[in-house]
Amino acid sequence: MTVSARNPAKDRVAIAAAATTGFTASNTNRSQLSYAAEACVAALRAAGLTAADVDGVIGSSTPSAPDLQQALGIPAVTYFANPPIPFVNQLAAAVGAVHSGLCNVALVYHASYRLPWNTGSAWKDPFRRGGMAGGAGAAIPESVYGSPGYTAWASRYLYEFGGSREDFGLVAINDRSNAMRNPAAAMREPLTMDDYLAARMIRSPLCMLDMDIAVDGGDAFVVTTTERARDMPLQPVLINAVTLGMTGTPSESQTPSLREHGQQVVVESLRSRGDFWIDECDVYFPYDGFSIITLNWIENAGWCGPGEAGDFLRTHWDTATNRVLINGRVPINPHGGSLSEGASQGSGHLREAVHQLQGVAGERQVVGAKRAIVTAGGFFFNAQGATLRIDD
Amino acid sequence: MDISDEELLARFPGYPLDHDTAARYRGWLDHVMLVDRCSACGIWHEPPGPICPACWSTDIVPTRVEGTGTIHLAIFLHQGPPVEGIDYSTPYPVVVVELDEQPNLRMSSTVVGAANEDIVIGTRVRLDWIERRGAPMPVFRLDEVARSAPVSS
Repeated sequence: MTVSARNPAKDRVAIAAAATTGFTASNTNRSQLSYAAEACVAALRAAGLTAADVDGVIGSSTPSAPDLQQALGIPAVTYFANPPIPFVNQLAAAVGAVHSGLCNVALVYHASYRLPWNTGSAWKDPFRRGGMAGGAGAAIPESVYGSPGYTAWASRYLYEFGGSREDFGLVAINDRSNAMRNPAAAMREPLTMDDYLAARMIRSPLCMLDMDIAVDGGDAFVVTTTERARDMPLQPVLINAVTLGMTGTPSESQTPSLREHGQQVVVESLRSRGDFWIDECDVYFPYDGFSIITLNWIENAGWCGPGEAGDFLRTHWDTATNRVLINGRVPINPHGGSLSEGASQGSGHLREAVHQLQGVAGERQVVGAKRAIVTAGGFFFNAQGATLRIDD
Repeated sequence: MDISDEELLARFPGYPLDHDTAARYRGWLDHVMLVDRCSACGIWHEPPGPICPACWSTDIVPTRVEGTGTIHLAIFLHQGPPVEGIDYSTPYPVVVVELDEQPNLRMSSTVVGAANEDIVIGTRVRLDWIERRGAPMPVFRLDEVARSAPVSS
């Protein structure tokens, strides 16, 4: 595999501001559009901008860019797009659009919403039933398409490496302990290993606490040229490298192995295109839509070898705060991740990375954080990543 | 089986039927498991597709496989989509089986006639057929005779 190192956009595009509505793990009496709009307004105000300054709109699938533009009264845009989640995809589109000149100020958003495909209780709200995702394989239990694919490869992980479910549980506990310091998080009650092991099994070997928590809420970002971001109120967060990664057989059942999927492509691409990697990382954001994804990201990023992530978490566990601090310093998903802040499909990871580098992360703040790595998404067709930094 | 596309759709509601996959489901009606194979280079590929991913030949022939293989991934559903005959009170096994025809060539289904504790990665299985909603569906049974070491990956 040869990955290009060409990266003419390196540090030339920046995130000027990020904002969240916070997340709620119950059906709120609000629309998905309302969350996207609220987060977008907050991000634009933080950047000192108005609707008229925006000429690009990039978001996940709902609301669509035209609906978001109309809701906020954005007078004219020269670029808009709705790439699929996870959320680094939206950042990549924004970097491409801003660097090429398709637009100058991109408003980038994601609204999480509890829907019948991710929580059965969403059926109780008739306005949410219309959002039910169907898909040809949806009613066929003998498929590993979609979410069951991660459980399937979790079974392989245990088979090949001889780990235990406690390895998965450490990911959930780390997230929960971090979420307890995050007022935006949906799940803030303490979590023990006994709680984890007693949780309801959904698809063995994964239980409810291995799977992200469906929430209502939204995140938004202002992405513009680094030059322009320097004139805005907040510390610009420079996008050093951003990438997507996929291999030739990306489907869940045909993925060659835990050692050969999209994550390895992402890591090689970020290391080739960017200027730093884990030795200079102050805060790390591996995706955690399923706990197994986090373990594999930690291994593929090079923090430890294949199958060693559980032991790595134990070695770097900070008993005082009941979470991971790599080398006593670098937290993993300090906002609580998808398992405890809420299932934001990566937008929460990116937002917290921005806030950590801007020094506005409150009691979660990593002192002196200058460099962050976000590795979003899973194994198959959705592995992505970004390296972010501020000026030294 | 020689039936029209309309009839085929009616026999397999909810399945991903299109021009590339129809031959597979016609095979199911005859209890024959077909996997796409390239006539030019001999590579098998899954899922069914219009072009060989190895050599780009479009001379693709849905070809019968033996139906023998090794369990590569194994999960047990404690809940799942509503299907007649599955209540999930006993967790329902779903396996991905690596077929003997080619490394990394895999098929997803369930295992019938076995206790869940015996459905483990590395176990040899063979194809069998059950009926669902009035149409045949391929499943696996543990191959008690040919049980052997896992295929290396």
